[in-house]
Parts: sequence; structure tokens; C-alpha cells
Amino acid sequence: MPPSSGENVSFAVPSAVPLSAQGSRVEREVMELFDEYRNPLLRYSLSLGLPIHDAEEVIQEVFLALFRHLHLDRSRKNLRGWLFRVAHNLALKQRLSNQASLQRMGGNARLSEEHPDLAPGPEEQMSTAQRRNRLEAVVQALPEKDQNCLRLRAEGLRYREIATVLGMSLGAVSISLARSLARLARADWR
Amino acid sequence: MLHKNPHLSAQHISDEDLVRSADGELTSKRAAELGAHLEACWDCRARMEAIHSTITGFVRAHHAQFDGRLPRFTGPRALLRARLAELGTEQRVAWWKRVPLFGFALPRQVVIAFPLMAIAIGIFWFRHISERPRTVPLDQAAIPNRSLTPGATRPVTMGEVCSVPQEEVIGDVSISLRQEVLQEYGISNARPEDYEIDYLIAPGLGGTEDLHNLWPEPYRDRLWNAHVKDALEERLHEMVCGGELDLHTAQREIATDWIAAYKKYFHTNKPLPVSS
Repeated sequence: MPPSSGENVSFAVPSAVPLSAQGSRVEREVMELFDEYRNPLLRYSLSLGLPIHDAEEVIQEVFLALFRHLHLDRSRKNLRGWLFRVAHNLALKQRLSNQASLQRMGGNARLSEEHPDLAPGPEEQMSTAQRRNRLEAVVQALPEKDQNCLRLRAEGLRYREIATVLGMSLGAVSISLARSLARLARADWR
Repeated sequence: MLHKNPHLSAQHISDEDLVRSADGELTSKRAAELGAHLEACWDCRARMEAIHSTITGFVRAHHAQFDGRLPRFTGPRALLRARLAELGTEQRVAWWKRVPLFGFALPRQVVIAFPLMAIAIGIFWFRHISERPRTVPLDQAAIPNRSLTPGATRPVTMGEVCSVPQEEVIGDVSISLRQEVLQEYGISNARPEDYEIDYLIAPGLGGTEDLHNLWPEPYRDRLWNAHVKDALEERLHEMVCGGELDLHTAQREIATDWIAAYKKYFHTNKPLPVSS
């Protein structure tokens, strides 16, 4: 299990565990997909409000599930959509579990980690940071499904993939994105 | 900026179409129409630029919000690699080594003898069953049982139908639903390569992922198999989006008798070769 705290998580695992010949093809395939999609999936899981260590664990579970999926020789069609769908479901499940734990403890602590300070660095223009903050505030005010559509699109998913991940129709995805971008544009150009 | 002007909506491009155009989600025909309009219309072009600018701003904000928090790659990667190696080893351990009996492992000869006996009994039973007269071979039907699979559609617009890429017209079915369909048709022990759980009316033509619209269609050993029907679905989708065929007609014909529809639209009495 990964450690439960810390921003730069590191693991005491040798970096080169030998892969046996049998099944190594699937393992290699999974590792290649991990290299390609780990960051987008992690960003998406974080955007659903998970703390970093939970999000990281969700991503591990996603790729273990992918290994089982491919090992059973199941469909390889649209694996990117498959990965995001599994990550979405596991992240929501984890979020519910966290909420239940908090309720049991009677705490009012925030579920997600604090959003980072978006203030500009010394090299950054103030107006750029202000624009980001303004856009992010509009996104936060959108219904969750609209936020998820936007975030998935920002990670490069096509409308059909977004529809599959979120269980929406293609038309609903299209309308959601148009509506959200219209709101963002209004805020952007105010 | 984006705006909704009721006086302009009749002649200008809607926000939704502009966003779909920016995202490359329009059909080539519609994209060409929009392109022609944009060339001539400053108002729509300004709105399109606003959309592009907003998308850029949002993507930057999205990355700025999360990228600084992403832990380094190497640790999680090494952990996953170790877990996969462990998982692979578990799956490769011979199954008989994991059969406990009162806390002891069974002798291999005994464990191997059981399945051999089971296979022998199975062969005997299969021969016994196969000698009995059979009625309609439901599990090999190229045409679905109409009482189980009459076909089902959802309300769709032409825009939705035609925004489905050609290669995604056919659609996929969830594993749980696949099992339900096989059960409904009384098929057990089916291998994935034996059947495609096929939509009678493909999703790309407005068909729903519903028991009433799904049936187990054999892949092999038949003239009119799943690959042939996939070719028909793509052909009908092409014709519907090309304005050659009405969507409802396509839905009705494929639901009534897809083989007849194939013969009609491919102008042939036997399936053309398809790559499977």
C-alpha cells in the first residue's frame, strides 16, 4: 500500500522488478498505458475532490483492473475511455467512503485538499492569475456533471468517450460543453 | 464573447455548433457548411475566437490547478510494476496447488482425476442429449427471436446520429448485459469468440442498450454472421447521413429482417467478403 500522506510520494520498491516471460506482454502494455495516462487520470481524480494519496491509490487500482481486463483477453476497444470510466467510478466510490468516514467522526474537515494558491509567481503576470482564478470560480459553480464534462474534455477525451464515462447521451455532452463554455466565456470577457 | 441573440439565431451558428466545430465533432458536411458561414460572418468568427480563447484559458487553469500537486512519476510506477509482477505470479500458480482439503493439498493424481472424470461424464451426457430431436436452434440463429428481441430505439436527432464516427456505429455491450442476453436465449458456457451480443438496431442508428434490442449472433460458421451485419450497419449509417435513406426506414428494415435489408442495400443475394 502507498503511504497515506505526503506530496511527493515515493515507494520503497525496487525500480526494476523482473517480469516473467509469460504474461509479460500484458504487463508491458499496462505499463505503457500507465506512462501515457497516469497524469491525466490523476488530475481527473483530483478534480473529483480526492486527496492526493487516495487519488494515487485509485490510479493504481485502475491499472491493476486493466491488467485483469487484458489478461482475460477482453475488449481492447477504446482503452482510454475504459480507463477514465473505471477511474471515475473508483474515485466516486472512494469519495463516498471518505464522506462516510467523516460523518462517523462528526468532523467538518474538508474532503479534498485545499486548492493550491493560484497567485502568480514572480515571472507570472497578475492578470493571467486573475483570469485563471475567475475561470476556476465559474467552473466550481457549475453542476458537477458539467464540471466533469469540461475536465474530461480538457484531458483530451472525445464526446463519445465522455458520454460513456459519465453515462450521458452524446447530445447531452455536447449541450453541457456548449453551456459551460458560454458561461466561462462570459466570465472571461467581463 | 459568446452570446445568445434571438434575432441572430436563425441566420448565425449556434453556440453548440461552434463548440462542436472547435472540437472537431461535426460531420464533414456540417463542418463545411459552418466553414463557409464563418468565412463570411465576422460576428460568428469573433464568437469562435472567443471560444478558442476560453478553451485555452480553461485548459491552462486546469493544469495550473493540479499539475503542481502531482507526485513524481517514478515511485507510483515502480509500485505498479511490483504489483503487476505479483499479480502475474498469482495468476500463473497452478490451480491444483491452491485446492485445499481439510487443510491439506490434494495429491496431484487425485486432483487431475476429478476433472478427467467430469469431462468423460460430460461427453457421455452431450452425446445422449445430441441424439434427442431438437427444435429451433435458438443459439445459432442469424435472425433474432422476435418475441425476445423486437428492437428498441431512443429519440435521436440526425446531428447525434451523424456525429458518431463510422467505426463506432456498431457499439459495445457491457459484460453484465451480455450475460443477461445469453441467459435469456438459454445459452450457457459461451466463449467470447462464439457470439457477438449484437444490437438489432445499432446504437449509431438510434438503437438502445436494452434486452429488447440485443441478441447473441454467431460470429462463425454461418453465411449470415455478425461481421456481415456489422457491414450492413455501417452501410445504413452512411446512407442515412448522406441523405440517401430515412433514419426510421433504416431502423424498421434492420429490425424486421436484416438479411433482406443487406440484400437490398448491397444489391446481392449472398454476403460480400468482410475482414473479420
